[in-house]
Amino acid sequence: MIDMTTTDIQSVIVPPPADSLVLEVKKLNFFYGTHQALDGVDLPVKRHAITALIGPSGCGKSTLLRIMNRIYDLYPGQRADGQILLDGEDILGPKVDVTALRARVGMVFQKPTPFPMSIYDNVAFGVRLHASKTSAEMDEIVEESLRRAALWDEVKDKLHKSGLGLSGGQQQRLCVARGIAVNPEILLLDEPASALDPISTAKLEDTLEELKRDYTIVIVTHNLQQAARLSDYTGFMFLGKMIEFGPTADLFVTPKVAKTGEYIGGRFG
Amino acid sequence: MSAPRPAVSTDQIPVRRDVLDPIFRYVAFSAATLLLAVLGGLIVALLIGGWPALAKFGPSFFFSTTWDPVREVFGAAGPIVGTVVSSALALAMALPIALGIAIFLTQFCPRVIAQPIAIMTELLAGIPSIVYGMWGLFVFAPWFAKHIQTPLSGLGGLFAGVPNGANIFTASVILAVMILPYMAAVFRELFRSIPPQVREAAFGMGATPFEAVTRVLIPYVQKGLVGAVMLGFGRALGETMAVTFIIGNSHNFPTSLFSSSSTLASTIANEFGEASGMHSSALIALGLVLFLITFAVLALARWLLSSQRY
Amino acid sequence: MTVNPSRAARRKMVSWIFTGACMLATGVALIALMLILWSLLTQGLSGINLDIFTKDTSAGGLRNAIVGSIMMCLVAMVFSVIIGVLAGTWLAEIGGNTRYGHTVRFLNDVLLSAPSILVGVFVSTILVNPFGGASGWAGAVALAILATPVVTRTTEDILNLQPSSLREASMALGASQFITIRRVIWKAAGAGLLTGGLLGFARISGETAPLLHTAGDNQFMHEPLWDIFGMMSNQNASLPVMMYNFALSPFEEANKLAWAGAVLLAFAVLGINVLGRWLAREKKM
Repeated sequence: MIDMTTTDIQSVIVPPPADSLVLEVKKLNFFYGTHQALDGVDLPVKRHAITALIGPSGCGKSTLLRIMNRIYDLYPGQRADGQILLDGEDILGPKVDVTALRARVGMVFQKPTPFPMSIYDNVAFGVRLHASKTSAEMDEIVEESLRRAALWDEVKDKLHKSGLGLSGGQQQRLCVARGIAVNPEILLLDEPASALDPISTAKLEDTLEELKRDYTIVIVTHNLQQAARLSDYTGFMFLGKMIEFGPTADLFVTPKVAKTGEYIGGRFG
Repeated sequence: MSAPRPAVSTDQIPVRRDVLDPIFRYVAFSAATLLLAVLGGLIVALLIGGWPALAKFGPSFFFSTTWDPVREVFGAAGPIVGTVVSSALALAMALPIALGIAIFLTQFCPRVIAQPIAIMTELLAGIPSIVYGMWGLFVFAPWFAKHIQTPLSGLGGLFAGVPNGANIFTASVILAVMILPYMAAVFRELFRSIPPQVREAAFGMGATPFEAVTRVLIPYVQKGLVGAVMLGFGRALGETMAVTFIIGNSHNFPTSLFSSSSTLASTIANEFGEASGMHSSALIALGLVLFLITFAVLALARWLLSSQRY
Repeated sequence: MTVNPSRAARRKMVSWIFTGACMLATGVALIALMLILWSLLTQGLSGINLDIFTKDTSAGGLRNAIVGSIMMCLVAMVFSVIIGVLAGTWLAEIGGNTRYGHTVRFLNDVLLSAPSILVGVFVSTILVNPFGGASGWAGAVALAILATPVVTRTTEDILNLQPSSLREASMALGASQFITIRRVIWKAAGAGLLTGGLLGFARISGETAPLLHTAGDNQFMHEPLWDIFGMMSNQNASLPVMMYNFALSPFEEANKLAWAGAVLLAFAVLGINVLGRWLAREKKM
């Protein structure tokens, strides 16, 4: 059940131009067993832009992200209904090949998750799954991905050392490099900086800023400044609903729903 | 305003309590030391008891296959090879199955089914080995002799042997069944210790379940897995009762999968009661060999398991 | 990245085969274990009757073996709980982080997994041969040597789980270390310690190898029953040793008794394990 306090809120969605959308979430409900975590959520995602999702913890923003590449499939008892259109095709359908979907929609998690293998193999991991490459091609992909993740200069001399030996911030950028190596259309980031110190966070943000020229990024964050600094569009979620969505500047400066203003103003959360 | 409280005078605290501290520490320390003393005593007893045989036969004790209590000539090569081969075979059989169980229970199986199966395997790991041995003796060996060994015995070679079901292969099967629940339980714990986000990250890259398990999850707990395998191997090496019933108790060097054989532990179990003099010393020397082999394996296992930290 | 469909299909098929193999492994193992339980029940249950508990092995019962097993295990547990809890406490609370502590912990682990037949040989050389023969005491000592490392290990693990605030709170009230451990730590860890004892008990109650050459065997019950000291000083029957001798006997009646003993033993051990787990579970909540 959804808390009564949201029933009288009229959500306001200001979508980007329709022809610029790469992904569209429509009327999405999500259930953990019998508990409903998302209630009729809409989210338009603009191509080659950064979309931020904000809201108090437990509002469903991470849940929403985890539906977009169907990672929730790993857990029986979790189910989604509604539509998520990726290039016009519904990814929630039963016929969808989730491994192929995840090659198109990559994900970086809250805690760094380097695999227990070398830095090089970490980056090459996804590519090796989905395609056969010559070693020269692979070298190129690995270098390119690490450069884009702004990690190349720090690791180029130890590519064949374990990825677990890097610092937390480097590990997280390694995960970004691993995510973009398969050249996904969308990169999902679930509070990627929450385990990092301020300097590592700044580096990661610079990286994302660079990446948005070629990739579509959806980032969940509880850090409002980060959302304001980084994103082009922002969605504010509360108790499983999308309360307000619009261009970041508008949402932060002139929120159209009172609840959004209260949250941004720090009155709750 | 606080009411005046009586000051706690130090002489109200019984000083006796603090005197107990060093005594308690000393007693606890002694208990810990007693454990060392027992292990030390065990080693010394094996060394002293086995020395006459080792001194008399020298290196040939380890390489000779003659085990003749009547002429008092003793060589341990038969039991040593029997021990290592039966344990290795058992491990080869149990390892893939235990790994399969642990992966199935932690990755593919709904929790409602996984939980009872897991509890069952853990409880079965506690069943006394003599029960497994009896099952081998009365149920498995006769069945095996009739339906497998007899049809195959004509082939000779690896399958040569008296078709009575008492041989190194059947002993390995019983050993495998015995260490299986134990290994499956340890493997399952290891897989459960993997943080969920590592698994999610592997699947998040578009890996299939097979790829996630073999390329990420198994490497993630690799050292622990090897350690658990060694522990299982150690158990098989030292196991007495499950083997004694069914290995045939022949001191000959095993020449085929189906030849009767003996292990270090089964030889001691069978003969120590009636042995005296040089025979008894030779049996204790077998014990020393068994101790050294298991100690090496277990030490390696513990080291690997304790270095499994991420 | 666009995905080549035939490659994706191949990967998926490999994965399905793998999943199937894992299911198959689980099935094979479950069937094997079911077969063992099935034999245990069909062969053993029919042999269970009142005589088992009222007559000695000489008369077709198991009374002396059951009493002997219980006696030796209980005596062993008295030794191993006292020594194991003290040693485990020393490791967890006092000297576990010293070099000596690390040595003790490692060698305790070695002792924990040492082949039980070697313990039988050891006790036989120090307590049987010099003292004129096998006895219940020697058997109990051999079992104690096997149970103590289990108790030590679980005691240390359980005490390490107790929050350090508990120690600090007690010490801050002026309690000495001994009072803190005895009145606070051991009390808080009570159920866990009991579990450790039960796991040790379960482990030794099925042990055969260490008893073969230490406790001997006995066709009769020691009379009178209350003369525990006299009973333990003589050769003492036990369920596992009885099973060993009777399983190898050419007589069908003896085999039947061995199966009946196997059922009793297996269910006793299962029962103790379940009880131990249940206690440990209560503790966690």
